[in-house]
Amino acid sequence: MTTTDIRATATDLRIKPRRKSNRPIWDEEPSPAGKAVKALFLLCYAAAIVLPIWAVVATSFASEEALTRAGGNLLILPTDVSFQAYREIFSGGALTDSLVMTTMLTVVGTAISMVLTICGAYALSRTGSLLHRPILWLILLTFLFGPGMYPSFLVVQKLGLFNSYWSLILPGAVGTFNIIILRAFFMNSIPGELLDAAKMDGAGEFRTLFRIVLPMSKAILAVIALFYAVGYWNLYFQAVLYTPGLDTQPIQVVLQRMLMSSQGLPDGAQAAAQYQSQGEAAPTAALKMAVVVCTIVPIVIMYPFIQKHFTKAVITGAVKG
Amino acid sequence: MATLQSTAPPDADRTPDRLVVRRKRTVAQRFRHDWPLLLLALPVVAHLAVFHYWPTAWNIIAFMDYSPYRPFWENPFVGFAWFERLFADPYFTPALLNTLKFAALNLVFMFPLSIVLALAMNGIISIKARSAFQSIVYLPHFFSWVLVVTVFVQVLGSDGLISNWIMGGGGERLNFTSNPDTFLLLVWMQWAWKDAGWGMIIFLAALASINPSLYEAAASDGANRWRRMWHITLPGIRPVIILLLILQIGSILSVGFEQYQLQRQSIGYQSTEVLDTFVYYQSIIGNQGESFGTAAGLFKGVIGLILILVANNIAHRLGEQGIYQKS
Repeated sequence: MTTTDIRATATDLRIKPRRKSNRPIWDEEPSPAGKAVKALFLLCYAAAIVLPIWAVVATSFASEEALTRAGGNLLILPTDVSFQAYREIFSGGALTDSLVMTTMLTVVGTAISMVLTICGAYALSRTGSLLHRPILWLILLTFLFGPGMYPSFLVVQKLGLFNSYWSLILPGAVGTFNIIILRAFFMNSIPGELLDAAKMDGAGEFRTLFRIVLPMSKAILAVIALFYAVGYWNLYFQAVLYTPGLDTQPIQVVLQRMLMSSQGLPDGAQAAAQYQSQGEAAPTAALKMAVVVCTIVPIVIMYPFIQKHFTKAVITGAVKG
Repeated sequence: MATLQSTAPPDADRTPDRLVVRRKRTVAQRFRHDWPLLLLALPVVAHLAVFHYWPTAWNIIAFMDYSPYRPFWENPFVGFAWFERLFADPYFTPALLNTLKFAALNLVFMFPLSIVLALAMNGIISIKARSAFQSIVYLPHFFSWVLVVTVFVQVLGSDGLISNWIMGGGGERLNFTSNPDTFLLLVWMQWAWKDAGWGMIIFLAALASINPSLYEAAASDGANRWRRMWHITLPGIRPVIILLLILQIGSILSVGFEQYQLQRQSIGYQSTEVLDTFVYYQSIIGNQGESFGTAAGLFKGVIGLILILVANNIAHRLGEQGIYQKS
């Protein structure tokens, strides 16, 4: 045993009983007051996020009597469990149509966006190829200047996409930022030797892309697909702008109308009239909250699988973008 | 065989004409080699051409008296007449001021909140507590604005949860979600709820990349917690802060659309009008015309472009990387 070994062992022996956490040795324990303030700050912030979501979920399962008794539109503690609101949503009415339509929009839109993004990112990851720099510039310039709302609207009209479902997908199908993130990943995380080896073995670009590059990029592809899917699922502005005349609106637009009608605001008048003409009461708080839950659930289901890769995607984009 | 052609023989005692082996390939040869890549890039290029650069070209109508009912070339050029009308518009200046107000709010109160959150979170030693906290605070970033506004109305509105508690205690109704005077605070709270946690990600990564031996050395030299933060942590995340500041400054006139449009009816247009909603309500819903709306959008785009170039230039002078470099 050398002296350093002995010293290391001694240090361990001296330190170990005292240290419960994996705080570094040089870091002194913070004062109890400082610790309490920090913990309180973080806990309050987390609670401010969790409690409203909890209240929304609890209310969505509440019966009308329980809500009237509580005298409000949100419950913290559910007194009974009723599936009335969910039965109403999935009973085949306008809400069901909207959810089905939004789901289709999300699936088709995400597929189109992913194909475009993958192809573009792979092409741009091969530096030195023909027209590589001009195409890269074409993409980077989109960060500096946006065409503006009115000209975009005009182009959608000229293409005959106004009030068409395609206007909800096509104009925003390519996220240039996502292309740059994915390109940076292709360039930095996939060894060039591997691509050279594939080439030596006679694999063309397409085969290299599908057999080598994509299988190695599953994690980042999942994150980018989530970004796109959430964008389509939460789509509101495009629907307001491009498809005001559609009968079946994306779920966010439907939710907005329900909110407006319950606040007694003009925008909700149309929705309220629609409810009256169908012989239904205006949406109850439970129904509204159940719709909110329906829009949250897909996100919450996808989220844990992908969360651990967020940081990587965000950082790659920020550093290389 | 690109690799074979580009390797020049190392020995120099050959005849000069044998040395010319780095023959430049012609465009046709490069095309034969690279056509699959071009084919892959084609959909994206076509998409950008149609949905980005074509509308960008349409901005020309900001300088024309444009009418969709006559052939394009018969529209007369009117110079900056639409911009003059824009600046004289009674709704434009308030919209611009509101936009700047919200941007300043973002810069002064949102940005530091994310940094403070990241610093506080960086102090959590337990890995389990860390990841639990991260899972919670990232989640609202994926919620839509419709959902955020709905939840705020349900909790803080006049019939909301907190209002009912106050009433139960004999107090008055809260009218927080319909009060124009406190709208700025409401917007800040919505941002903080939705995006402050997400804004933390990039700072956390920057914090993680600081070499721990710096802290150790500082601690053994007697630097306490605050001095370590001042001399190591903050300089360590400075490049990220500057990068984000540039991005923020570049997008100062783009504070979003949905959040303001959604609350326009309950708050009133005076407090909620920003440049994007101005274009929408004046030009797409209203009858101010195509050229007017385009001029307003172009104004926004050009100012944004100038701001981002200036901010990047300043960052270069401060010795920071910025978002792009002259290459």
